[in-house]
Amino acid sequence: MRVEVDPAPRPLKVVGAYALFVGLALVALGLLFRAYGVAPLEAYRVFLSVLGDPLGLAEVARRAIPLLLIGSGLALAFRVGFFNIGAEGQLLLGAVGATYAALFLPPGPWTLPLMFLLGGGLGGVWAGLAAWLRARFGASEILVTLMQNYLAYYLVVYLVAGPWKGRTAFGFLYTDPFPEAARLPVLPGTLVHWPTLLLGAVAALVLHVLLFRTPWGFEWRVLGENPLAAWYLGLDAGRLLLRVGLVSGALAGLAGVGEVAGIHHKLLEPAQVSLGYGFTAILVAWLARGGPGYVLLTAPLLGVVLAGGDALKLAFSMPFRVVDVTSGLLLLALIGAEAASRHRLVWRR
Amino acid sequence: MRRLVLGVLAALGLALGQGDKLKACFIYVGPVGDAGWTYAHDVGRKKAEAALPWLETRYVESVPEAQVVPVIDRFVREGCRVIFATSFGYMDGVLEAAKKYPDVLFAHATGIKRAPNVATYMADFYQVYYLNGLAAGALTKTGKVGYVAAFPIPEVKRHINAFALGVRAVRPDAQVLVRWINAWYDPAKAREATEALLAQGADVFAFTEDTPTVIQTAARKGAYSFGHYTPMLKFAPDHVVSGQIVHWEVIYIDFLKKVKEGVYTPKNLQNVDYFWLLQHGAVEVGADYGVPINPKHVPLLKAAQMTVEGKKVPVYDRIMSLLEAMRRPNPTFDPFTGPIKDRKGVVRIPAGRKATLNELLTMEWAAPGVVGDWPGEPR
Amino acid sequence: MEEALLRAVLFGTPILLAGLGALLAERSGVVNLGVEGMMALAALTAFAAAQAYGPLPGVLAALGVGMLSGLFLGLFAVTLRANQFVAGLAVAALGLGASGLLGKRYEGLPLAHPLPEGGFALVGAVLALLVHLFLTRTRTGLFLRSAGENPKAVDLFGVSVDGVRYLALGLGGGLIGLAGAYLSLAYRPSWTDGMTAGLGWVAIALVILAAWHPLRALLGAYFFGLLFFLQFRLQGSVPIPSEAFAAMPYLLVILVLALSGRSRAPKALGQPFERGR
Repeated sequence: MRVEVDPAPRPLKVVGAYALFVGLALVALGLLFRAYGVAPLEAYRVFLSVLGDPLGLAEVARRAIPLLLIGSGLALAFRVGFFNIGAEGQLLLGAVGATYAALFLPPGPWTLPLMFLLGGGLGGVWAGLAAWLRARFGASEILVTLMQNYLAYYLVVYLVAGPWKGRTAFGFLYTDPFPEAARLPVLPGTLVHWPTLLLGAVAALVLHVLLFRTPWGFEWRVLGENPLAAWYLGLDAGRLLLRVGLVSGALAGLAGVGEVAGIHHKLLEPAQVSLGYGFTAILVAWLARGGPGYVLLTAPLLGVVLAGGDALKLAFSMPFRVVDVTSGLLLLALIGAEAASRHRLVWRR
Repeated sequence: MRRLVLGVLAALGLALGQGDKLKACFIYVGPVGDAGWTYAHDVGRKKAEAALPWLETRYVESVPEAQVVPVIDRFVREGCRVIFATSFGYMDGVLEAAKKYPDVLFAHATGIKRAPNVATYMADFYQVYYLNGLAAGALTKTGKVGYVAAFPIPEVKRHINAFALGVRAVRPDAQVLVRWINAWYDPAKAREATEALLAQGADVFAFTEDTPTVIQTAARKGAYSFGHYTPMLKFAPDHVVSGQIVHWEVIYIDFLKKVKEGVYTPKNLQNVDYFWLLQHGAVEVGADYGVPINPKHVPLLKAAQMTVEGKKVPVYDRIMSLLEAMRRPNPTFDPFTGPIKDRKGVVRIPAGRKATLNELLTMEWAAPGVVGDWPGEPR
Repeated sequence: MEEALLRAVLFGTPILLAGLGALLAERSGVVNLGVEGMMALAALTAFAAAQAYGPLPGVLAALGVGMLSGLFLGLFAVTLRANQFVAGLAVAALGLGASGLLGKRYEGLPLAHPLPEGGFALVGAVLALLVHLFLTRTRTGLFLRSAGENPKAVDLFGVSVDGVRYLALGLGGGLIGLAGAYLSLAYRPSWTDGMTAGLGWVAIALVILAAWHPLRALLGAYFFGLLFFLQFRLQGSVPIPSEAFAAMPYLLVILVLALSGRSRAPKALGQPFERGR
């Protein structure tokens, strides 16, 4: 018995694989809920309830905003073979840039565009640095971007506890609140800062077109799929990497701008700024399978997982870890089903 | 048919019965965990529920600051009439939600802004830290006391200062070495920071971090320590001298009773601020409930002497008499009574008066004897 | 100074053990991003078993759970040929989540009989050497390395690539389990949700920093341990903000990496093995 690639899986098989794996995950989850003293069916109802009411949908959308921006950039980066796992840090740098523009430059109608420009720029430079280190010294971008996350974390702590500490923050770790001109509009009654949402959707589409319909994109795809071929074609791998680093970092930076300009209206303790979007977006990007446009589907999907998990934890006073368990199991089910439908079991050797 | 009617009646009765209960909901910033801030609030919640038969509670843990409004939305929809928000960072969100839901009563821990339906509350340790500082000053042989600190915010600075004032009252040449770990919860950082302080000669420890790591680490090297937030004696029975223990339930029960009796309404909370200390029983000095000083260390503290107004007294007696003085309805002692200079020699609290509530809540200066980096220190 | 070296070894040990575990898997061609969750689950198991049956059963239980969780990852990363990165991240979330949920009743309890850290440190150093010898001097080690470099050759040799990768994930999982046991039985003898505090990610970084070499991993782990300790040892004695010291270990890792130049990952790393391609 062995496993081999199934080049053309029948639709029924695909559906069956997904049904089987998601079913298994739900059973495992149900057993866990029962062990915790919560009726599984009731738990599933609560989890999905976020899709059924405006407040829940708003929560899904709010989570999807940074996931869209970061996820589309990462989908591109992974496709090109630039394993940027430092989106969390790039997001923080974006927040820092936005805060500088909001608090230390004269406010006006130009404030918001300037925040996006500066935040995106800083995020891009931050990731670009890792791309440059890889191109110039061969330093692993996985490691460099991971380490940069910690650097960004401490930079933000330093800023909010030191030079940027707010005069109105009563000694707590906040900057002063942003002026009105530096705040994004939200859908009434929610925290959905829609301009960023729009930006994210546009970014996903633009990157998709860029990757699949332009010479730049062609070079990127060649580099990602076959670096040797890229070399024969005379492509400058360093420059291509730098470009992709700048783009993916800038998008993460924009997500950071959205979080501070749309939700917090100040810079604060780094663990509160982002809620791990930089890491969740890695999943968003991988599920999108190298197509930045598909992030339009996968980002809301992860948004549902995050918001649904929150609803669970609130409805049953469950520990916050329930979110991790739920997302872990569902993810395994999704990738397991995806892989299973691409393969078949052969009973002979 | 009869069964149906009975069933409906029973269901109605149940609904009414439940309707009689006051539903209070708690928003926690961290996981309930094993020892820290959120755990202590949860203990308070459970004790309040046990004490008040008409109370029903719910909680949600690890709510980031940005998420407090959506969480309140859900809680209100599920019938919460009183909402306790237990982190400073929720302030703006709570005030915004309070406008949205004018019939719900909010109470915001560590907060400084109120509204007709938003009260603020805090159970503060600074007096307890002073008493622990006295004991630390008596116990240190090297004259170096270690303090592993979370974030440089006024609450933590106030506690370090009170502790340092206590240490110096017994041993005027002692130093309090401060190490910031920039985290509320991080056992690895707490461990290595303690190791660093031990290597530098510190032999008594106090800390602000949500685990007993500092205590466990200090005990291995035979160093004394003071518990934080919850009873931590069991983690090092021979080395935990005393500590700070909180009783949030004292505030929760008082507040909820007054809501139930109609004393508090969504219209009159504008001036309701609990800043409760030893005198209210909201905090306790001790290594465990009801044990102010670990009996194993009482002889040491009785043998140690300090000078009070020119007279020699045993440190133990001083601790007990000050504890008594601060527990009275009208306390006759407060650690932050002027004149107090900061470590740069600037007078921070003038002679003849106590620190005001505002001075306590915005304390940024460092007390004499404090050694180490001090972000935000006034020039 | 001795103090600093001692801390370097004692704090470096869990990073080393977990790093060796991740390294074994990577040498066989499987990226294991689940370290953080596997370590947390093992730490909880070790603590629970140690409370009930004593410290040694605690260590063994952690070893077992580590191995099982490694094999569980293999189910997706090897047999199903799913994306290894996502599978690893999902296992990390699952391990953290499950240990957090199941461990509630063990929180706030001191461990009755903690184990000495020195023993673990010694075991860690010996294991680094053993892993090195295993990879370079044994036939199985050769197959393991080949599975990471050229799985097709292993297959042609009549050895199951999947089997070798399962072996690497299982053995590696055991090492990661040991790292968890060290945390909850020796380093901080008690269990708290989240007590791995990101060390699993540092361990994954260590593998790259050490260029997939077990003995360099030993040096790298101790180096990181030293820097981590020094940030607190030096804080306050020089007029530099505490945040700058905290950032120092991570900055130095980047510098070392840039200076040490190109390091080559196993060629087939991260790629599921498909026959006939």
